Amino acid sequence: MRPVISVSLNGRAYQLEDDAHAALADYLDSASRALAGNPDQAEILADLEQAIADKLERCLNPHKNVVSRGEIEQVIREMGPVDSGAGSGVPHDDVSSDAAAAGGSAAGAGTATARPAGATTSKRLYQISDGALISGVCKGIAVYLDVDVTLVRLLFAIAAVLTGGLAVLAYIVMMFIVPYANTPEELAAARGLPFNARVLVEQAKLKAAQLADAAAHAAMHNHSREARAQWKAEWRKARAEWRQEWRRSRAHWRAYRWAGAPAGSIPPTPPMPPLAHFISGLIWAALGLLAALLALTWLFALFSLVTTGAVFGWMPLHVPLWVAIIGLILVYQAVVWPLRAVRHGMMPRFYGYTYPWHPWHAFWDALVGLLLLAVAVWYFTHHGHDLQQSFDSLQQNLQPAWQQLLLAWHTLVHGAH
Amino acid sequence: MSEDPKLGALRKGFLEFLVLRIISGSTVYAADILKKLATTDFATQEGTLYPLLSRLRREGLLDYQWQESEAGPPRKYYCLTSAGQRQLAEFDAYWARLNQTIDSMGS
Repeated sequence: MRPVISVSLNGRAYQLEDDAHAALADYLDSASRALAGNPDQAEILADLEQAIADKLERCLNPHKNVVSRGEIEQVIREMGPVDSGAGSGVPHDDVSSDAAAAGGSAAGAGTATARPAGATTSKRLYQISDGALISGVCKGIAVYLDVDVTLVRLLFAIAAVLTGGLAVLAYIVMMFIVPYANTPEELAAARGLPFNARVLVEQAKLKAAQLADAAAHAAMHNHSREARAQWKAEWRKARAEWRQEWRRSRAHWRAYRWAGAPAGSIPPTPPMPPLAHFISGLIWAALGLLAALLALTWLFALFSLVTTGAVFGWMPLHVPLWVAIIGLILVYQAVVWPLRAVRHGMMPRFYGYTYPWHPWHAFWDALVGLLLLAVAVWYFTHHGHDLQQSFDSLQQNLQPAWQQLLLAWHTLVHGAH
Repeated sequence: MSEDPKLGALRKGFLEFLVLRIISGSTVYAADILKKLATTDFATQEGTLYPLLSRLRREGLLDYQWQESEAGPPRKYYCLTSAGQRQLAEFDAYWARLNQTIDSMGS
């Protein structure tokens, strides 16, 4: 564990490890000393801080937000020692700093080319619940590999048949260990895209640039205190608008990547009063919790069915195991479907954009679901007996652990009442 | 890079001239200037460039405008003032004379 120190570099916050902070403080101190007596000292220091901040951006990404000593030293090497600059430009002042500048030239040249590479994020595997058939493992893999989700599902189904159910076990394991992508940052990371994708930045930039340009121009030609205050206020307003624009375009971009629809075709939704926003947020969260509970219950039911031949000791009809499993899947889908529909319906209210839940997608998903079901039925009718045997042996092996789990579950359920 | 300190001193004097030339081409911000210089003998670092730019602005040779950048705070975009353009023309003329002089000497 290392202590971390937060610093503000020209208005942006950065987190530095303690020795990195010391190195940066040293550098800025020496810069400040070198510029002592320079009438533009404060301004040059702000510019230097800005340049350091720009260089730091390239060592940071959504998964790494602390700057180490090595990184800060590299940045300082690239910055070079600060020249007093107060002289008349006649080459009498320190030659040493110039030699250092020449020595650092290789590093300096590297900076310019290294920056774009530093802006990309690494790809990560996530589960993606939107547009998922069961849990979102296939969807996550499809997004990771940048292929159609149907292809992954079919491959999974074929693998399940070929490996005699092992792939299904793999799916269940992944369901538990692969994290869900919830935030826009995580969704971007699932695709290996930098979160601040250039497209939306350019779009938002253009608008703010016009405002800032006009304001800055006014401020430059009128140095009075009032003009500056006015410029500041205008700048703040422009920034707020720009941020809002950014958020909106980010949502657009996200929906766009999702559906492959042109971003412009998604109509913006009007803003919601804060109370309504809060309440719908609560409902949204409650529905999410309910969905999670249902999924968990379903999993327990499935496990119970497979290991004991009955759902929590309850079995109304005497049907083969495979029919019961399919029945359980159908019941789960039927229970969960209205919940999903409500959540999809709430999405524009909550996120501020319309989720392009096209009927065609639903149809396609249903088709694949049916296909999977058909494959499963075919498999169980042909190999049901073998599978029953392997399940039986599995049951014998897992019985003690399952009893424990069941006990824990019962105490949890009955303890709540 | 190890080289004659005399050449280093010469280079330092010319840096100002080069910076004015780069800015005369188009409005640029500091990182553009560094990038342009990086591949030349005049490779410079922020620690040298920022104080130089500030002095040139104080001398009235250049001015800057704030422009929004793609991430974070706005940047300073530099341009030459009319005094800066006159100074650059003087430099250019002087450079041509100097070249002639150097060429005509020696051989």
